[in-house]
Amino acid sequence: MSNHSIAFILNAHLPFVRHPEYPRFLEEDWLFESISESYLPLLRMLNRLKSERIKCKMTISLSPTLCCMLSDSMLQEKFLKYLELHIELGQKEVTRCSKEQPEFLEMAQYYLDQYKQNLCDYQDLYRCNILDGFKMLENSGYLELATTAATHAYLPLYQEYPRAINAQVELGVQSFLTTFGHLPKGFWLPECGYYPGLEDTLKYHGISWFQTASQSMLLSPDAVHGGDYRPVRCPNAVAVFPRDFQGTSLVWSNTTGYPTDKCYREFYRDIGYDLNMDYIRPYIHEPGVRVFTGYKYWAITGQTDQKVPYKREQAQKRVAEHAKNFLYNIEKKARVMESSLEKEPLFTLGFDAELFGHWWFEGIDWLEQVIRHAHAKGDSAMFVTPSSVLAKESSSLQTVRPAFSSWGQGGYSAVWLDGSNAWIYRHVHKALERMEELAIRFNDQASLKQRFLNQAAREVLLAMASDWSFILFNRSSTEYAQKRLKEHLKNFNVVYGNMCKNAVNTEWLVKAEKRNVIFSDIDYNIFNPEH
Amino acid sequence: MILINIDSLSTTELQYIAQQEGLDDWQSLDRRDLIDALEEAFGEQDDEVPSALKGKINRNRYCNSLTDYRGSQQNVQDLPGVEDLPQSYLDTSIHLLLRDPEWAYAYWSISPATLLMIFGEDGQEQSSLFLRVEQTDLVSGSVKTFDISIEAEDAQWNINLPSMGSRYAVDLCYRDKKGNEMSLARSSTVETYPAYWQRHFEQLTDNPSLFTVHFSSLITKEGEVVDNAVLREMAENLSKGVM
Repeated sequence: MSNHSIAFILNAHLPFVRHPEYPRFLEEDWLFESISESYLPLLRMLNRLKSERIKCKMTISLSPTLCCMLSDSMLQEKFLKYLELHIELGQKEVTRCSKEQPEFLEMAQYYLDQYKQNLCDYQDLYRCNILDGFKMLENSGYLELATTAATHAYLPLYQEYPRAINAQVELGVQSFLTTFGHLPKGFWLPECGYYPGLEDTLKYHGISWFQTASQSMLLSPDAVHGGDYRPVRCPNAVAVFPRDFQGTSLVWSNTTGYPTDKCYREFYRDIGYDLNMDYIRPYIHEPGVRVFTGYKYWAITGQTDQKVPYKREQAQKRVAEHAKNFLYNIEKKARVMESSLEKEPLFTLGFDAELFGHWWFEGIDWLEQVIRHAHAKGDSAMFVTPSSVLAKESSSLQTVRPAFSSWGQGGYSAVWLDGSNAWIYRHVHKALERMEELAIRFNDQASLKQRFLNQAAREVLLAMASDWSFILFNRSSTEYAQKRLKEHLKNFNVVYGNMCKNAVNTEWLVKAEKRNVIFSDIDYNIFNPEH
Repeated sequence: MILINIDSLSTTELQYIAQQEGLDDWQSLDRRDLIDALEEAFGEQDDEVPSALKGKINRNRYCNSLTDYRGSQQNVQDLPGVEDLPQSYLDTSIHLLLRDPEWAYAYWSISPATLLMIFGEDGQEQSSLFLRVEQTDLVSGSVKTFDISIEAEDAQWNINLPSMGSRYAVDLCYRDKKGNEMSLARSSTVETYPAYWQRHFEQLTDNPSLFTVHFSSLITKEGEVVDNAVLREMAENLSKGVM
């Protein structure tokens, strides 16, 4: 029996990106790559374990924006086309590699098989809605599903707007209820962003637990007893699971984490860039914009362009070694902790779900090996979820106040509030003030005005997404992020301007409802303080 | 614009990026010169990028290409009836956002009517604007203030917060030619709390077990401390006695 527990918490989230006006849109690939390379393989892996009766538990937070996109029929159709296109490319690649680059043939065939399997699973098993797959695994006890803020807003920067915080939490909970048929117990704090008092809104909406960044315990104003190795309770009794930075870094570290091993697959070398334009043009974006295709044949090798071909068998051996190494390190750490803690340590390991499979190609294999090795040692019970922990030791948790914190650079709000993105708050905050004003002035409207105000609520919520400010900070896809932010804010201003004149712009409304179709049953009165 | 793991990219990839970036001689440059030229081009664009991010993307989120080049065909088109965002809004207000325990960010706007009142119709009144930062100690309740001079065209400021354990608010103020001062708007407050272990770090130095519980999760196996200024300061203090 193990002397410790491990709680894997995966945050599956993507911003709402949906462009019906284009047959293919660059940023929609974020979703398609994640379904194809992370979510479907993850579901396959867990179902494989289940069929072999190998027990495990983990937690996945599925963001409302992601759930909305996964159940959107237009995006589902586009994803089918994406798969078909990648299967066509795979078939061409198998032919090409067998003639020209036999050293890549094995991987070309592997990718092709994966895309075919994905198509089969997606169409036949899940009938184009993989949320059912997560729900089934929850029903069988393999997953605890959690929710997060409606549009994954970085909440500490909206502290001044309690109605907006409430709307993000309430819609996160409601969206989960609509999708999965029951209320969530857990709430993934976007970017692990916590500020003192946030737990009150979470409790009001029935949330039992949330996770925080590692330093939230050491920097607490209270004398925390168990560091990051024990969950605690806020003064209002909502439980907190601090993330173990050291354990997470075994995987997460950019420089020394397992994914940096030289025999693993190189993420950045892709035939989308390597092959000539005439050949690759149908599989990239118009007009000849090269992007990743998913067909990647090189191993990381080192900081050099002289890469060696990727060898899957070799990588799989390393996966097994890394899985054992992970369990060894956690167990060793647990032994060190034994004498210092009153109870056995809990390692809360929070990751973005898309790390596994998409960015770290071997990541899902690694997760599977970790679970299989633990099972072989009779230690399957070490894998827990926050709710399973609370069910056993709810009353024994220390009551403390976590510190303001996030998992971003610097540990606070610097990523989402720096020179590149600070400008957005002037506009988003104003929109929130005005949304509240509209909800008070025009409460309980019906028909067209109701639709108009509901769309305003959608637009302001979409502008709050942490993704846009993160992208501006990170200098990736900045043009798109800026346009999206401005689009939502300008859209909101259309409603505000018209409502102040007691008018409705129906042409705008019809188009906006078609484009930004999220939270179909939203009620703008959520922004009314008396709601 | 981003540039990812440049040394790992193939020459074909480098040439493609150079072409996108509009480098004239991308076809004739050898690999080393391509890298140098791109680093120079991206360096100019990325002057404000934190050093930790230079030349690489952080955690690969939202990354389905090597750069954010997207051609000219796919754009988010405005819907009918939308107008550009205003530079600021026609009210007088100030907002304060806590960035970390040492810095807060303030932004404000001043209505045209208020500007008229302060600087007169010809804009020549000898008045001045300033921010008055009010710091209230959370334990003693004592209040201190300090002022930051601002210009009429300023609309934002990063404010250094002198000490933890305080509540801060900022007044947007003006001073007329006679020296009379008036607050135009006041921000909501932000608070910073000192950590228990900051105030009692001798307990950590005296007790290796406590130190292990609290610090070992925050340091990687390779000795890298979680990225946090307060923690680093604590670690430096502690290292004198323990580490």
